[in-house]
Amino acid sequence: MVVIGVDRSAVSEVSEMSAANQAERAVLEEEFNWLLKEEVHAVLKQLQDILKEASRRFSVLTPGMEGQLKPENFILGSSTMDQVKGVLTLQGDTLTQADINIKVAKSTQVMHFTFREDKQWKLQQIQDARNHVNQALQLLSSRDESYQFKTGAEVNKLMDAVMMQLTRARNRLTTPATMTLPELASTGLMRMFTPPMPGDVMVNLYINLSKLCLTVYQLHVLQPNTTKNFKPAGSSVMHNPGAMFELNNTKFEVNHVHKVECVVPWLNDTLVFFTISLQLCQQLKDKISVFSSFWNYRPF
Amino acid sequence: MSGNSLVLPIVLWGRHAPTHCISSLLVMDDLATVISGCHDGQICIWDMTPDLEINPRALLFGHSTSVTCLSKASASSDKQYMVSASESGEMCLWDVSDGRCIEFTKLACAHTGIQFYQFTIGTQREGRLLCHGHYPEILVVDATSLEVLYSLVSKISPDWISSMSIIRSHRTQEDTVVAVSVTGILKVWIITAEVSRMQDLDPVFEEESKPIYCQSCQSISFCTFTQLSLLVVCSKYWRVFDAGDFSLLCSVPSENEQAWTGGEFIAADKVIVWTEDGCSYIYKLPASCLPASEHFRSDVGKTAEGSIPPLVYSIADRADKQLLICPPVTRFFYGRREPFHKLLVQGDSAGRLTLWSIPDTSPLQPLSSAAELQVSSTISLQEAFDKLTPLPAGIIDQLSVLPGSEEPIKVTASVYIPSQGRLVCGREDGSIVLVPATQTAIVQLLQGEHMLRRGWPPHRTLRGHRNKVTCLLYPHQVSPRYDQRSLVSGGVDFSVIVWDIFTGEMKHIFCVHGGEITQLLVPPENCSTRVQHCVCSVASDHSVGLLSLRERKCIMLASRHLFPIQVIKWRPCDDYLVVGCSDGSVYVWQMDTGALDRCVMGITAVEILNACDEAVPASVDGLNHAAVNLKQAMTRRSLAALKNMAQHKLHTLATNLLAADNADKGNLPKYSHNALVVQAMKTNLTDPDMHVLFFDVEAVIIQLLTEEAQRPNPTLVSPETLQKAPGGADKGGSFLANKIFKQVKETIKENIKEHLLDEDEDEEEEARRREEKSKSLSLLEYNLTMDTAKLFMSCLHAWGLNSNLDEVCVSRLGMLRPHTPISFGLISRGGHMSLMLPTFKDSLLRQLGKGVGPEGRKLSVSEVVGKGTYGVSRAVTTQHLLSVISLANTLMGMTNATFVGEHMKKAPARPPRPGAPESPKKTPPQVSTPAMQSQIKQGWSQLAAMHCVMLPDLLGLDKFRPPLLEMLARRWQDRCLEVREAAQALLLAELRRIGQSGRKDTIDMWAPYLPQYVDSVSSPGAAPETGQPTPPPAEAPPTEPKAPEEEMDVTDDDITAGCLSNLPPSLKKISSSYEERRKQATAIVLLGVIGAEFGAEIEPPRLPSVP
Repeated sequence: MVVIGVDRSAVSEVSEMSAANQAERAVLEEEFNWLLKEEVHAVLKQLQDILKEASRRFSVLTPGMEGQLKPENFILGSSTMDQVKGVLTLQGDTLTQADINIKVAKSTQVMHFTFREDKQWKLQQIQDARNHVNQALQLLSSRDESYQFKTGAEVNKLMDAVMMQLTRARNRLTTPATMTLPELASTGLMRMFTPPMPGDVMVNLYINLSKLCLTVYQLHVLQPNTTKNFKPAGSSVMHNPGAMFELNNTKFEVNHVHKVECVVPWLNDTLVFFTISLQLCQQLKDKISVFSSFWNYRPF
Repeated sequence: MSGNSLVLPIVLWGRHAPTHCISSLLVMDDLATVISGCHDGQICIWDMTPDLEINPRALLFGHSTSVTCLSKASASSDKQYMVSASESGEMCLWDVSDGRCIEFTKLACAHTGIQFYQFTIGTQREGRLLCHGHYPEILVVDATSLEVLYSLVSKISPDWISSMSIIRSHRTQEDTVVAVSVTGILKVWIITAEVSRMQDLDPVFEEESKPIYCQSCQSISFCTFTQLSLLVVCSKYWRVFDAGDFSLLCSVPSENEQAWTGGEFIAADKVIVWTEDGCSYIYKLPASCLPASEHFRSDVGKTAEGSIPPLVYSIADRADKQLLICPPVTRFFYGRREPFHKLLVQGDSAGRLTLWSIPDTSPLQPLSSAAELQVSSTISLQEAFDKLTPLPAGIIDQLSVLPGSEEPIKVTASVYIPSQGRLVCGREDGSIVLVPATQTAIVQLLQGEHMLRRGWPPHRTLRGHRNKVTCLLYPHQVSPRYDQRSLVSGGVDFSVIVWDIFTGEMKHIFCVHGGEITQLLVPPENCSTRVQHCVCSVASDHSVGLLSLRERKCIMLASRHLFPIQVIKWRPCDDYLVVGCSDGSVYVWQMDTGALDRCVMGITAVEILNACDEAVPASVDGLNHAAVNLKQAMTRRSLAALKNMAQHKLHTLATNLLAADNADKGNLPKYSHNALVVQAMKTNLTDPDMHVLFFDVEAVIIQLLTEEAQRPNPTLVSPETLQKAPGGADKGGSFLANKIFKQVKETIKENIKEHLLDEDEDEEEEARRREEKSKSLSLLEYNLTMDTAKLFMSCLHAWGLNSNLDEVCVSRLGMLRPHTPISFGLISRGGHMSLMLPTFKDSLLRQLGKGVGPEGRKLSVSEVVGKGTYGVSRAVTTQHLLSVISLANTLMGMTNATFVGEHMKKAPARPPRPGAPESPKKTPPQVSTPAMQSQIKQGWSQLAAMHCVMLPDLLGLDKFRPPLLEMLARRWQDRCLEVREAAQALLLAELRRIGQSGRKDTIDMWAPYLPQYVDSVSSPGAAPETGQPTPPPAEAPPTEPKAPEEEMDVTDDDITAGCLSNLPPSLKKISSSYEERRKQATAIVLLGVIGAEFGAEIEPPRLPSVP
């Protein structure tokens, strides 16, 4: 990163003198060539290493078992309340087992649900993030050491493509899908459980940043002749108590919302890798732009 | 009632073709059109002749990000539709003939591939689009409404689909969709008749799922010749599979580290496969892959890796290739109609298309050395531009050619000041030029005496930047709180300069940023007073500054953002400046203290940005670069203004006007309704600006009438216009009255101002004053309205059809002949726009030349001037005829409505300045003799008549695209009286022209849309079934359907930017019914008119009716 400082001061000095002399131009040109020949490949190599590491986190194999992804158990809880507890088994991008305990507010009774034997729940966010990283890796691998970059524009174009994939990968993890409550009800997640979920409970499973989150909504049916103003809630990641919606001609209102979560360490790693690689890409682009604004310079 | 104003764009492209880095390609089935999408989001339509000559015709604007895929979207040959998808999930349906956007939608996920699929139930055919992309399903979308109907879902290891192919079965009603997921699993879905009919979102599960171990699959294609094999291309090898049980028949690795990117069968025994760097190879398949051979499937089960089949042809990319910045796109298409070319098409980052016609026969040489196939034709956008004579004009080219050089200096930033009719252009060399916009456009587009003058029109040059000017801002235009003298410019030299545009003085230089300035913005109204007098500057060193124009210092500098700044939002009540960066992070700064309040990512960041939108509905934000994102630019600068105008209740405008005692505030509404708006655009940040002139026909008419009403001699005001106006549309009337009132007020103000200025000048020396006048004030001293009308009418008139009329136009009416055919554009719903490239006339020449073919004479460019635009498309013709006729009628009703003479120099209705000696040029009375007057009126009436009725005969039917009846019917009750009259006249003329059979067809076509039909039949287009066709109502004026308010809505034409763009996606459902209602209203008008005018010929209702 020292390089940047050198470039910047050099360029501003040149523009200071309004007419760059020949020697300086030559030096700058040489420096730009060095950037294209050496520095770009060094950065690309570094990027590739980081992203390979990130990609590896998405598919940790079980030692000894051929081609089998390693299952990991996560205990979801919250420090402030104990109404909801969950134990989820994550295997790659799929939740293979779930064990959820819900304590209903009024009664002391605890409801217990598990995934049906034949069902698994895929976390699309993880799969999408993994695919985006792999696409970024593919883009990088097409330009290996032997490839000679000829223009800065070419490097910028490649960086733009890589950065787009990385931003998408990161955004998939950091911004879970916003859904309306009827949309959530129709996802099929409710039909995964045994015993079947009662009509007044809804659950949602998603990734937010590096955390695996479980939200449980307790609902009550709004009487048709209620004086309450019915206003369906919009899309949101997490709905608040009081949110209303209509499903199959029945109107519901959310009574209680419980959210429990657990950090998935390897997701945290990948997020860090994404951030580092995005910064590397941007720095490379900035270096190129310092030169290109210099080449455009023409005193009148 | 918004959006029905008639707005016509005219483009000045300049010599530099827009950057077109091709990302996707499509050849239409008739091989007459090639379509290319680019990384910046534009789509280019290229015309192709049967001899494979290609020529770019139009550029379509609508996507904000890279175009990922293109597909045809209709099966019929008479109506060609295509669909495009972009990286951000936008999808647009376009009419290929005129570039109209028919429908558009946006999904959360991006498509990477779309295939059109026509599906038949009985006699009914429906188009479907199968889409795949960054999601695990295949979405089935309706090809006309773009609504998702259902999806094809995987049960076993679902993952993104990387490629897909549809196998059509002729024997059964079942069609098969074969797809390969990114993890190399082949999936098969069966689409049966029941499935296709499904409307709800029930998923369809796959029939078969088989791992074929093809990592990073690039394309799969089905052999249409034998229907028995499948080609799968992966980056490291390509494979042929049996299409029945998907067993591997052969596998060919890539040589010397090339990466394959796609392939296709070109015959039963030949495949073409291409690489990432643009080379293609044609291989002859081994016998084991040929179903016709006895050795078919002989190698199944053996690892056939390694053997490379014989190469028939190799197609290398050009040797003289320019530096490419990204890999080219290659596709293979074969014509389904005459001529049956097999075409390999390649598009690269330099905007170049290259075509190879693949011969059916193998070369005669021994196969050991593969023959090289020659390029059939190749052209890039820039080459097409360079070939033109004269070269495509830029807006200030005549002022920008330095002595000793050919090339004009590039314009890099521009802003239009509508109140003064001035265009400000920042250039590559750091200078800023101020010119009257209409004058400079006339120089570029029209022939006339101005061609002899050098340095015309009078302009002013500001010099101060040491290098390229990157952005310009005229703050007074955005908010009247700013001084109307100040202009702000930013450059690559890191500086922001404040200018006084009246004196040309440099007021202040801000040097606070450490990178080139990329954007200049104005904070919203309700900020603190200190911030209100600032402009906000954004620089490429990822910093944001608040520069106070009043204090002449930077009051806040927010820097240290890690990523480029994408959006600036405001939270004035909390004194927050919200900065959104390209990586999705959001920084919240306190404007007063300059402290960083917080920095967030993820969902919170999104929420903060959304919250800003709620707080400030009309926040000034700019994604990327103001000029790059057309949609934004359009909605913000030009059309939003028009929309606002219409949306606001007009009487509130009137009250505002009355209340506004502040001179500056009173000026404001004037800007929101301009006859001419000049918008600079660039498709890529590195491009020079091109300029689009938007003419609002309604506004031109209103301004003309206002000036007429202000004329000193009240007896000359044509009584009809004044009577008609209030009598016609009530809204239009009051609107007009407001306009007149306001205009009068402004004139008075202007006089006062001028008087003050004159006093100042008196103190200066005489010579200096002269110069000053010609330099700065002369920019004001021409009649903006008449000049705009002159430019517009000259561009629209169909020259060369009637030499007598042309003579009248030039000598008596003062119109000027264009140099070359003018590049018009077409605005469709939601800010989508199609702009003709200057090269469109080549296609036109060819098309028009067909008629004179026998003599072998080539038409010269001058011969098609003016005629051209009426042969482009029916929608374009309608727009142009409506404009030209309504304007001619308006001018006919005016005094002295000619574009020659002294009155063009000055705005009319300016009483002689008190105290000042009257200048000699003002003394001769403007009013010419009654004889002259009648001659002028006659000229305009001839002009209107020619365009209204004689055009089809004069042009010949093969070169004339008649206007669209439904578009005319929708303007039957237009808000603007003149447009309404023109539409009525045109509709009657067109109905007369199409004759009895044409009228009958029209009745048959529109009768199903009449309200009672809609009630009984759910989808009117489908089958008009038994209901008896109503005899159209006999009375002429169409009966008002239900609510009149709605009726106004319904008149919204799909050609103008509709209010739909404002609708959130959730309202999509309503929009389809909106479409329905609009069709109803159109049908009522159309059938009503036919009934009234041609009622006698209508047969009694035929009960068995239409099939």
